[in-house]
Amino acid sequence: MAIIELKNVNFRYGSGTPFEKQALHDISLSIEPGDFLGIIGHTGSGKSTLIRHFNGLLRPDSGQVLVNGDDIWTASKDIRSIRFQIGLVFQYPETQIFEDTVAQDIAYGPRNMGLDEKEVELRVHEALQFVGLNDSYLERNPFRLSGGELRRVAIAGVIAMRPQVLILDEPTAGLDPEGRNKILNELEQFRRESGTAIVLVSHSMEDIAEHVRNVLVLDHGKIALDGTTSAVFSQAEKLVQLGLDIPQITKVLLGLKAKGYAVDTGALTLDQAERALLRLFEKERR
Amino acid sequence: MTRDITIGQFLPGHSIMHRLDPRTKIVLTFFFIIQVFISRSAASLCFLIVLLGFLIASSQVPAGKVLKGVRPMIPVIVFTALLNIFYVSGEPVFTFFFLQITKQGLFTGFTLLVRLTALIAGCSLITYTTSLNALAAGLEQLLAPLRRIHFPVSELSMTISITLRFLPTLAEEFDRIIDAQKARGAEFNSGNPIKKIKSYFPVLLPLFMSAFRRAFELTNAIECRCYQGGKGRTKMNVLKLAPRDFCAIAFFVITFFLTIAFNYYFPAPY
Ligand SMILES: Nc1ncnc2c1ncn2[C@@H]1O[C@H](COP(=O)(O)OP(=O)(O)O)[C@@H](O)[C@H]1O
Ligand SMILES: [Mg+2]
Repeated sequence: MAIIELKNVNFRYGSGTPFEKQALHDISLSIEPGDFLGIIGHTGSGKSTLIRHFNGLLRPDSGQVLVNGDDIWTASKDIRSIRFQIGLVFQYPETQIFEDTVAQDIAYGPRNMGLDEKEVELRVHEALQFVGLNDSYLERNPFRLSGGELRRVAIAGVIAMRPQVLILDEPTAGLDPEGRNKILNELEQFRRESGTAIVLVSHSMEDIAEHVRNVLVLDHGKIALDGTTSAVFSQAEKLVQLGLDIPQITKVLLGLKAKGYAVDTGALTLDQAERALLRLFEKERR
Repeated sequence: MTRDITIGQFLPGHSIMHRLDPRTKIVLTFFFIIQVFISRSAASLCFLIVLLGFLIASSQVPAGKVLKGVRPMIPVIVFTALLNIFYVSGEPVFTFFFLQITKQGLFTGFTLLVRLTALIAGCSLITYTTSLNALAAGLEQLLAPLRRIHFPVSELSMTISITLRFLPTLAEEFDRIIDAQKARGAEFNSGNPIKKIKSYFPVLLPLFMSAFRRAFELTNAIECRCYQGGKGRTKMNVLKLAPRDFCAIAFFVITFFLTIAFNYYFPAPY
């Protein structure tokens, strides 16, 4: 059964005011256990609005949001229990940190779940390891950490709730390339070890293409494309039309193809691109 | 959420009221307030209601919207009116132990009800028809002459514009932090008031920190550009009074004297 399922969700901001704005049009999607999904779209396409529907922070004007098969808005369910199952990490999550030690801040979520102190401690330790920080960080003041470390502490704060799915809104925004790769690799590892489904939200294909298995492209609040990563990538022209960056290597391959070289343009990673180019050279030489 | 409680409540439009110079609107709002206070007789009150209706019509703001804006103030208005009904002494119409309602009290209470409602409705029109930026610019130019007595006008206007610029940013940030803490299971409407205040800690703390961080960044940026107060600074958009502004002022002067005339020829019964 899908962890999250959206059926024909519509949402508008500022209903009944002159500033009314339809942010989501008839969105249907599902997120299964073990998924690794990327949601991409240019700024303002509705990505952040969409993920706020996953854990009941926003209520759709029409349509349904099902979590583990139950409509979260009809069943008189405790919405908080949904939030513990659907872990949401917002953009620039470091702004949510407020405690004076790293351990205390990560413990905020688990404590809200009503877990006993022993369990909380265990989870804090575990979450910190997943984001690649060791126990020496536990008692440190979060406001003395570097930007990348702070971001990882914030992510750990959500991981510590052991959600079924972890959704991250632009988790690498504002980080240097090294910090970016580190976080993405840690998330990948976290997914493999814990089996948690992950949804990465980004405005840049390049960032997440290497990691995610499926991609959903949003444009003006509608799903414009959706499928496996390579299938979506093969429609590079459409992506460019939608105002999305495509990876440099994909641009190179497409450029070659446009010039009449018979090159395979489905490469997602640098390695695959290298192989495609080498094959091309072999052919040309003969 | 916070953005639903729009700061100011500007409704963009093209009515005559929208197009008036913000300075005219500020001054005329004061005129209107004075007029409300001197409208004491039944006749001048009726005139005040007609005037208010005319103003609302000329602003093209839906009347329902204006009245809705009065709604939060209803308890205060009713309380003030009731207080007057019971406290004004005069010819009794109703006595109950120590409580006494007089004719004079009823009249004062009722007129107060009308006047306060008109006051709030009238003053809200300026916020419906003027953007905050226009209001700030108008205020600055109105206060400009005070520079001669060393009143820090440009500092004040700088402060106002920075505040206006960052209010939406802070409101947005507030929303985002609330959402982030809710995603970690925070609860903000548990009944107990002490608990309720405590539950906002995880929101207010980060909000203050980011406000301070922004302030430091801004002061650095301002200093790097060698800003030294507003001496000799000019404005890109200088406000200019148009003929319609003079018409509006003339109109208000006339209604002002009409009100006085109504008060004089049809005086209040008590
Ligand atoms: N709180 C809000 N009030 C009104 N409009 C909003 C609000 N948040 C977002 N929007 C609008 O909804 C659209 C989608 O925004 P968002 O979901 O933040 O996009 P993204 O995360 O893809 O950049 C944008 O046009 C944005 O201006
Ligand atoms: Mg966003």
